[in-house]
Amino acid sequence: MGFRLLLYLAILVLGGVLGYKDMVSEKLNKKLSTIQNLCLLLLLFIMGVKIGLDDKVFSSLFTIGFKALVISLFTVLFSILAVYIVSKLAFKKEEKNEY
Amino acid sequence: MSIKILTAVGLGMGAGYFFLSSAIGSYMDIIIDIGLMLLLFFVGMDIGKHKDVFEKIKKMGFKILLVPMAIIIGSIVGGIAGGVLLKMPFNEAGAVGSGMGWYTLSSMLLANYSTELSALAFLSNVIREIIALISIPLIAKYVGNLEAIAPGGATTMDTSLPVVSASTNSETAIVAFISGVICTMSVPVILPIILKL
Repeated sequence: MGFRLLLYLAILVLGGVLGYKDMVSEKLNKKLSTIQNLCLLLLLFIMGVKIGLDDKVFSSLFTIGFKALVISLFTVLFSILAVYIVSKLAFKKEEKNEY
Repeated sequence: MSIKILTAVGLGMGAGYFFLSSAIGSYMDIIIDIGLMLLLFFVGMDIGKHKDVFEKIKKMGFKILLVPMAIIIGSIVGGIAGGVLLKMPFNEAGAVGSGMGWYTLSSMLLANYSTELSALAFLSNVIREIIALISIPLIAKYVGNLEAIAPGGATTMDTSLPVVSASTNSETAIVAFISGVICTMSVPVILPIILKL
């Protein structure tokens, strides 16, 4: 996993540098975004296949959906709370009015 | 795009359940690995193109970075809190939370770890995006503008940005965009780290 993380980072940075330096022409850019979407849809299809193949996961989709709802509610609530604390501590009243 | 996404997952599930045999499972792991790397490369390029973000951060002051940092920490802690309620392992619940609404990437990052967790990350982050779209106007009205950025997580750089912009003001929309970029950058790095803990 450590190697994997470094690999992910390296790929991300490589893409970032190429994007930052405008090394990709506008024409190629359009094609890339199509490739990107196709790649994404294929991956999602495969993820679906994995779920469909796994009887345990497939039969518990409703339980997983309920768990997902609980986790997403908590992430949203805690995110709001964290930003609330930060805005109270770090942003003065006058500044807050600007936002 | 969102309909295409749901269709792709639905078709895959149907194909896996009715037609395909589990013998192809190991091939899919390889495809996911390669596809994930391609996807990360494209994401990197997208982020790199937003050069103006760094200028904007300098102009508005580095304090602005506290907003995405709070959202990242809140998402992870929130995920863990929800996980405690559901009796899930801390690292798994935290990893799902750290997806910050980016359901495509977070489910891919977890696909070869566990199909169940990958499905959970997908659904949980889809729901987060939906909650964000619904709750942002309400939070802007009753809590505050900066707080209205929080529900969107990584999505405030694209899908939920119009909602933030419409329900707050242009300064907040800029902060929301910056925050979305920072959150997006953090997902592929932070999610694997938390999972490993």
